[in-house]
Amino acid sequence: MLNLHRTGCRKFRTIWFIRLICQIGLISTVLLHSGALAQSVCLPLPRLLTTMPMGGKPGTQVELTITGENIDGAGELIFTHPSLSATPIRDANGKAEPNKYMVSIATDAPIGIHEARLMTRLGISSSRVFSVGTLKEATQIGPTTALPKAMPLQVNSICNAVMTDKAIDHFLFEAQKGHRYIVHCSSRGIDSKLEAVLILADSEGRDLNVERRGGTLDFVATKDGKHILKIHDLTFKGGPAYFYRLTLQEIPEGSPVPTFPSTKSVSSFSWPPTGLAEMSATSEKEPNNLHAQAQKIALPCDITGSFFPAADVDTFEFMGTQGDVWWVEVASERLGRPTDPSAIVQLVQQATADGDETFVEIAEFSDIASPMKLSTNGYAYDGPPYNGGSLDIIGKLEIKADGLHRIQLSDLFGGTRIDARNVYRLIIRKAAPDFALASWGFHMELRNGDRNALSKPLALRNGITVALEVVVVRRDGFDGEIALAMDGLPYGVTAQGLKIPAGKTRGIMLITADEQAPKSLANVSFYGKSFVNEVEVKRPVQMAAMAWPIVDSWGEIPSPRLVTGLPISVTGAEFAPVSISAKEKKVWEVNVGQKLTIPLQHTRRSEFSGTVLQLKTSGAGFEQAPRFDVSLASECSEVVLDLAALKTPPGDYLIAFYGTAVAKYQSALEATTKETTAPIDTVDIVMSEPIAICVKPSEPK
Amino acid sequence: MDPTYDGFVRNVEILPILGRHGTLSQPSYLLARRKHSMARIAIQLRYSSEARIFVFTFASVLIGCMPQAVLAQESTKPASFINDVVPLLTKAGCNSGVCHAKAGNGQNGFKLSLLGFEPKEDFEYITKDSRGRRLSIAAPETSLLLMKAISKLPHGGGVRFQESSSEYAVLLNWIRNGAVYDAGSAPKLVSLELKPNRATVKPWSEQQLKVIATYSDNSQRDVTQTALFETNDSAMAEVTPGGLVKVLDLPGKVSVMVRFQGRVSVFNASVPLGAAIDALPPSKNFVDEAVFANLKELGIPPSSLCDDATFLRRVSLDLAGRLPTDEERLRFNASQDGQKRDLVIDDLLRSSEYADFFANKWTAMLKNRRDDASDIISNFAFHAWVRDSLLANKPYDQMVRELLAATGTVIANPPVVWYKRVKEPKQQVEDVAQLFLGVRMQCAQCHHHPFERWSQDDYYSFSAFFSQVGRKPTATRGEDMIFHKRGSASATNIKSGAVLKPAALGDTMPTIAADEDPRLKLADWMSSPNNPFFAKAVVNRYWKHFFRRGLIEPEDDIRDTNPPSNPELLAALEKHLIDSNFDLKSLIRTITGSHAYQLNASPNQYNITDQQNYSRYYPRRLQAEVFLDAIDDLTASRTEFPNLPSGTRAIALPDNSYNNASPFLKVFGRPENESVCECERIQSSSLAQSLHLINANDIKAKLSNVNGRAAKLAKSHSSNVEAVRELYAVAFAREPRPEELQAGIEFLAEPRLDPAGQPFDAMKAKQESFQDLIWALINTKEFLFNH
Repeated sequence: MLNLHRTGCRKFRTIWFIRLICQIGLISTVLLHSGALAQSVCLPLPRLLTTMPMGGKPGTQVELTITGENIDGAGELIFTHPSLSATPIRDANGKAEPNKYMVSIATDAPIGIHEARLMTRLGISSSRVFSVGTLKEATQIGPTTALPKAMPLQVNSICNAVMTDKAIDHFLFEAQKGHRYIVHCSSRGIDSKLEAVLILADSEGRDLNVERRGGTLDFVATKDGKHILKIHDLTFKGGPAYFYRLTLQEIPEGSPVPTFPSTKSVSSFSWPPTGLAEMSATSEKEPNNLHAQAQKIALPCDITGSFFPAADVDTFEFMGTQGDVWWVEVASERLGRPTDPSAIVQLVQQATADGDETFVEIAEFSDIASPMKLSTNGYAYDGPPYNGGSLDIIGKLEIKADGLHRIQLSDLFGGTRIDARNVYRLIIRKAAPDFALASWGFHMELRNGDRNALSKPLALRNGITVALEVVVVRRDGFDGEIALAMDGLPYGVTAQGLKIPAGKTRGIMLITADEQAPKSLANVSFYGKSFVNEVEVKRPVQMAAMAWPIVDSWGEIPSPRLVTGLPISVTGAEFAPVSISAKEKKVWEVNVGQKLTIPLQHTRRSEFSGTVLQLKTSGAGFEQAPRFDVSLASECSEVVLDLAALKTPPGDYLIAFYGTAVAKYQSALEATTKETTAPIDTVDIVMSEPIAICVKPSEPK
Repeated sequence: MDPTYDGFVRNVEILPILGRHGTLSQPSYLLARRKHSMARIAIQLRYSSEARIFVFTFASVLIGCMPQAVLAQESTKPASFINDVVPLLTKAGCNSGVCHAKAGNGQNGFKLSLLGFEPKEDFEYITKDSRGRRLSIAAPETSLLLMKAISKLPHGGGVRFQESSSEYAVLLNWIRNGAVYDAGSAPKLVSLELKPNRATVKPWSEQQLKVIATYSDNSQRDVTQTALFETNDSAMAEVTPGGLVKVLDLPGKVSVMVRFQGRVSVFNASVPLGAAIDALPPSKNFVDEAVFANLKELGIPPSSLCDDATFLRRVSLDLAGRLPTDEERLRFNASQDGQKRDLVIDDLLRSSEYADFFANKWTAMLKNRRDDASDIISNFAFHAWVRDSLLANKPYDQMVRELLAATGTVIANPPVVWYKRVKEPKQQVEDVAQLFLGVRMQCAQCHHHPFERWSQDDYYSFSAFFSQVGRKPTATRGEDMIFHKRGSASATNIKSGAVLKPAALGDTMPTIAADEDPRLKLADWMSSPNNPFFAKAVVNRYWKHFFRRGLIEPEDDIRDTNPPSNPELLAALEKHLIDSNFDLKSLIRTITGSHAYQLNASPNQYNITDQQNYSRYYPRRLQAEVFLDAIDDLTASRTEFPNLPSGTRAIALPDNSYNNASPFLKVFGRPENESVCECERIQSSSLAQSLHLINANDIKAKLSNVNGRAAKLAKSHSSNVEAVRELYAVAFAREPRPEELQAGIEFLAEPRLDPAGQPFDAMKAKQESFQDLIWALINTKEFLFNH
């Protein structure tokens, strides 16, 4: 019995222990889960998401309805071109109707795409494309999701529409036999999420022709009468974000298909080289696929051609001189084409008696590397979701011997595709060292498994420091240091660049809004400066942003693109949850190999989840500094930088500390409206104000 | 009769007896009737070459020892390892995949190369492995090799031959003569001749085959007893290990493959029925000429031509995967045009449902599979590319070219998605060979193909075409941009280590420059008019689509040793496709426009046993998607699929993910798009299918849908006669026969009582009666099958 009892007791204990472990595990899981569920990513920022319609015609006024997130207190609607302006629409009592504007498009407004931004209580919003075109504009009326509900569409018009979820939109038009029509659906290129499928059908809705690659349906009607256009998303998604502009146009036989303006990929920031003529001097001349057909050229050269037809190889020959160094640049992907140019250069060794030739390959060129390690879209953040590199070419060509040289250009994506629109521009030039810059809102991992890819308008909270990541594509051997700067900042806002070191491709720009800065907005000039051949050059930084705030890039692939302008605002209505800065605003001096202690000051304006903020160091010469913790509960702390361990050489440096913290965010608006809700745990980047350090040479003993 | 078809017929036959809420009191009825047990095994294993080897070996093992009289050997002459020992080990099954040639380390430490394809290695294994303990030159009779084979020592494989057998004598002779490896000196096998290689063999008769091997020294040997035999259709003929072919009662063409020392040869038998043929339908095109000539030769009278209603339903289901619409049916019936069948074929080929239906077929084989939520864009894009290509009637060779040599991104060039699904060159080789060439290369990855001429060098030379497929990452996890990676294409034979340049199957290939994408050269070779596989594979596949059985079966196992049942027809179809610039619609138009396609499914008194000569239309159970759409049409209640527009047909589903949401599709065998073989689609019957039709909620919901056909008919003011006619028109595309009409009217007029014996509300009763009538129609063979 005793044994049995003991055994039973042991069993009981074991079971109890297992239960305990399970319960603890369950509780932990529930807590973690609920915590994760309750936590927001990044403090609210204003984002303009949709406009309806999405465009207009010069010389007209357009009634615009907008939607967005965090756009309470919406005020002025601002366009990137002065020929577009907007005023709020007011009701009979003179009160502004929410989110409605009258947009005036001047007669001289440039045709193409522009961007609209909204000034809100929190500041300036992200931008949304607004198109200006020459055709008559229409707006979708009612549901058009079935053949009997097809909306009539006039030839030579554009219809602004929104796709319904799990549906197909139908439009009806009258075609004339023998007439040529083009149909185009602008969507991705105007910031829509719609992956448009465009179907031409007969009057009974039977499919005749389909375009799914963002291209244009180009057809000659075979009979008079009604035709149907069907539009849907590739995966039949829909909703307000799935807007589009459907163009139906009659064009003469033989005339080229018009191009439809669209936003530019991030990779295109490095194109064109400074001072490049708009049109190239030479065109490729087919046939030039075979060696024997090579087109004769002289260097330098600037040639336009196309990867057409399928598996096209364009061959050029030039006489090279030993010792010459040339730079080869090809643009095609950066022109918006789905291509992957590749070039090889051969030295032709002339024929022997039997007429055969031999050749030696002296160079092969392919992609422009991304300036930063790109996100692999894995579980953890490991790089920005912006690709500054390109499938195009920039490469150095050294001529090793006098003689005939041959350059073969092909498209690694072009084996089977037949599309004359896949154009390229080939430039071979003497070295013209230069650089191109792009920038976007700094991303980092905010919590385990975080995969956010957010548009981050520079709507600054008072007391905040935000970071922009800046990358450079260096051209023709330029490897100098690049200083980053901004002009025209709003009052109370400062910007300091953690410069891009010589030979490196990444830097950080820090923008700080003073705690006392008034509400303001300014269009800022952002540029990088360096010396090329001892002459100072200044190049603009092109901004990139996500078309949509993507909280989880596994669920939805982000759509980064270049944007126009850089407006920066200060809200004057909300404060940063915490500000961290050096206690003294000075240049901190230290001898090489010594330790530098910097007292830090914390200005806390919010409650936080957790008490410790772990900080890393950003800035050349100090990035290897170990992480350190500061207490969020405390008003000050200090950091010790060991220059011996860092091996930082003498020089002037600018650094900042950064980490993530979970603030208990409560909108300041709630306080004013007295409609308070529980604070929301919101994880975001905490960036310190920049700190200047001067590392001096060690003093002689 | 095809057991799967037969099984399903039996299965559905009992349904009306059971009633909607009946129970299955005699489950044994649901078992398919099968005529030949060996056929069953063959069917189960038909798609695996390794399994075939097993069947071979199994048959060999069964014979135990062989008749010694036939196995004459010159005992005085030293036995050759190459020409005597290896073949007898093969015949005895020692080097089969389930015995000592098992992958890994053979069996119980004794390893041999599969089927003796590597005699040099076999010699090493036998004479040197385990410190040479398997042979005793000093006392040959005590050699482990012999003692185990005759089971004097315990042997897991049992007795392979008797001590008194000629095999034993040959092995003993070889050991006594020093167990020499004579690859250098032994004459080489140069040809294998089968006598006869072609014959007309009457049903229930026999034909002895004789196998003559010719060697490099011009000597010849009768190797009948050491050769291996296999029939391509065990329902038609059996063959003994000694080469005696026993023809059964099914008329048609059957072949027997013989294999000896890596060489193969084929005996083709024509088995006539021998009935008199008084009249044949007129020939509309070369298809009819070839089919009817074959029937005439075999003496199989064809069934008569089907009526218009049957044709319209058949061709609509085969071509567009759906029942004919009301409008189509009325227009077709009203037409007095003598060419109206051809016109309806043209109409269907223009329809988007044609593109949807055949895209469904192709995307399954091209493995358009949803493994992750992020696959959705690529899967939809790929499906759409296939569908749009078919709709636009892109030439088949161009489609294949775009797929094989695809580069770029998913949105810009959707065929690259194939490289997302089929990532490894090994998979690419095997899928391309099987799908587009009808050649199964899998075996040749590790060893010489046992039934074919393909060696490992052939395999790796073919895989070299895919060696320059480059990948660049994209923002979508698991998805790459595909590009041509510049460089010299090659692949390494993993066994020999030889680095091989790209070479086409059985053909030469000029040197491919580093700048050239070798896949484009492969596509050039494939679409060449002289390619012996490419056009043949697709016309055979399409023929099977319309006739249930390929001219070569399985449809993707084209080889010299698996000849077509009607070679003239296959050649003519192949030529037609090539001459039409690989126009698939033209191919379909030709096939479905033929009178051979338009024969009745009902057999006459002669052709009921015909399973391969197309003397009648072979009925097929509607495939899962078509069946579901047909039920939707009849019940007027569409199945809703997640996140797709309402009204999307099951044949238009872009990938396999919808199988999870639709138990119907799963139960009726919609594939998961995991295999390049069409056999992944399950067309056989099952208890689950019967139960689903009886009890499943989705069927019940369709029948009782408030906006469905039953509800509408119940509410309508039309007469019951009109209602029954409508139901028959939708379900069968025909008018009800008088007795059917009468039965329907009487059924609808029957009073319906609740369990308490009280009559139902009139409207409810009417609605339930229509539901029951529709349900009964769904469960008829006429509805379940295309016929």
